Amino acid sequence: MTRHGKRSLRIAHLYPELLNLYGDSGNILVLRKRLEWRGIIPEVVEVHVDDRPSFADVDLVFIGGGSDREQKIVCDKLLAERAELKAFVEDGGALAAVCGGYQLLGESYLMGDEKVPGLSLVDLYTDRGDPRLISNIVVESRICEQPIVGYENHGGRTHLGPDVEPLGKVVYGHGNDGVSGFEGCLYHNVVGTYVHGPLFPKNPGVVDYLIARAMERKYGIDELEPLDDAVELSANKAMYDRLMAGEVEEQ
Amino acid sequence: MSLSTAIAVGAGRLTHWGLHGVLRRNASQLPGRVALALDRNLIADLSHKLGRGAIVVCGTNGKTTTNNVLAAAIESCHQRVLCNRAGANMAAGVASALLPGSSADWAVIEADELSTVHILPGLRPRYMVLLNLFRDQLDRAGEIDHVQDTIAAALASSPNTVLVANGDDPLCMGVALRARKSGTRVLTFGIGEDLDLPADRVPEARFCQACGAELEYEYRAYAQMGKFSCPKCDFCRPQLDFCATGVRVTREGVEFDVVHDGKRSHISAGFGGVYMVYNLLAAFAAASLAGVGAGSFQGAIDDYNPRNGRLQHFVVDGREVILNLAKNPTGFNQNLSLLLADERPKALYFAINDNFNDGKDISWIWDVDFERLAGQAELTAICGGTRAGDVQVRMKYAGIEADIAPLVEGALAQAASLPKDRPLYVLTNYSALWPAKATLERVGVSND
Repeated sequence: MTRHGKRSLRIAHLYPELLNLYGDSGNILVLRKRLEWRGIIPEVVEVHVDDRPSFADVDLVFIGGGSDREQKIVCDKLLAERAELKAFVEDGGALAAVCGGYQLLGESYLMGDEKVPGLSLVDLYTDRGDPRLISNIVVESRICEQPIVGYENHGGRTHLGPDVEPLGKVVYGHGNDGVSGFEGCLYHNVVGTYVHGPLFPKNPGVVDYLIARAMERKYGIDELEPLDDAVELSANKAMYDRLMAGEVEEQ
Repeated sequence: MSLSTAIAVGAGRLTHWGLHGVLRRNASQLPGRVALALDRNLIADLSHKLGRGAIVVCGTNGKTTTNNVLAAAIESCHQRVLCNRAGANMAAGVASALLPGSSADWAVIEADELSTVHILPGLRPRYMVLLNLFRDQLDRAGEIDHVQDTIAAALASSPNTVLVANGDDPLCMGVALRARKSGTRVLTFGIGEDLDLPADRVPEARFCQACGAELEYEYRAYAQMGKFSCPKCDFCRPQLDFCATGVRVTREGVEFDVVHDGKRSHISAGFGGVYMVYNLLAAFAAASLAGVGAGSFQGAIDDYNPRNGRLQHFVVDGREVILNLAKNPTGFNQNLSLLLADERPKALYFAINDNFNDGKDISWIWDVDFERLAGQAELTAICGGTRAGDVQVRMKYAGIEADIAPLVEGALAQAASLPKDRPLYVLTNYSALWPAKATLERVGVSND
């Protein structure tokens, strides 16, 4: 898929009209810009509710968060694509899933008291707990140098299977289940997390990790051209410093 | 009045006197909180002193303006009105507003969406105006479904309250759908024509509130407001009881006709954009239900000058400064439309705080179409508030280079080097508004 010899990545943005709860359009915007700034053509394909997408030529998949009602609609549709998505993930396809999208990756999650089957792409499941975990959050992860800084807001408690690595260690906030001290999941080239805010803008290391995995799979290149991230990193640090100094009151 | 109510009212008034009369502090919340602690049925007990009844104004954006215009319109007809003008809109603020005096004709009350369930059962208003519902403060309010359920439950607790709802908003009509099931009478207002405005983002409500199919629109005014219908069921924009036509929205303000019961009334105001058409239309609907004539209503708008930081104009050192509240994507996008209608080169200051009353989660700034600013010639952009860094990142990805100035003083200092004919627009969210307003009032001259 190169045009005039230029490199490109094909990004599937799943159900943007339904899964867009926490500024998720910002994640796609940041992904798109960071590719463009490196001379890589972003080909963003929006997958809508009645589409039957193929993931054969997709390089990176993004799944955002939605309200319960919307998440249920999505899950019913997505289950039909499970085999395709599973093949994509097992083949090392890069996938980012945030909040509700993260819960969809697992075996099941609870909607009210109803157990809803998930995509079973990663060995994890989600049940519910009280109270809802609402807070700023900081996570230290091996996939990026800077701490991952954002916001979490979830009633679900996500439990990882024995062979699934967490995205990182919770330094501030609650994370997967509020007790394990871990947040998110890493599995092949899948990143799942409750961190929104949105995730990518203040955490360029996370988005670049995913871009690098996709470039590696497609072109065998995992070194990305560095960008000037002064603005992003200073916003990250400003929030990190406020949180660590205890300057931000949580509910 | 029972003894416990009398004690509660006395304690509340004493608190008000102590705060306001002695300490010269804001007394919009605490007196009500003190009195409510002593008498949990206080709102119900106080509502008995209202000769004509109460009107509640609710909705995500525009509550304060709509409520204050409505109160002014009713007052202009020589009625005594109790009103929470400063916008203290939870139960304590409402109780505070109801404390003064032994009788009044009306209470005109702005209510926070989630607080309706604590306010309506006691207050039993004659009318509740529902202006609009947008995604706002997800960390506090939760998803819109929850907000709708709460308002519907509040209405169910006060069965004689007539809901006066925005018929153009599928989310308000979703509340009406639920409320009708418990017997609530519904009247609607809306815009009855295509304004041919460029479409902005519709962040929510794309789907039918009854069956979940994607809604279709004949036309839209802004966000999800418009003439919608569901292709699969009968959920649609209703026949409007108060219908605005002949709508003109310009930089100078808005004007339109309202048709109600076959009668046409002309309304004009020297402020606001298309959202203000809805605010004034809603205020007009409630005012006419309360017996206010169109002439009195127009008079109240002409005299309306709230100086509450909503579209307030100042002159600072020879430069025009325009201050406005922008606390969620829809409000922000409407503000961007207003300032883009101003063709002069300009400076912009966006201040976003993350205090409790702002919402701690500011991810919504990515749902604002800042990209619309990217083509502006000679634009100066400055970011402020506790989340200035986040705003600066948002600007960067919109293609706009922006500096940081935590407070409005810094923004004024930066703007000082620009030619005097360039206005400075100051858009802030809730808790950033008051310090900005105080500073502008101190260093500038109000120019309304």
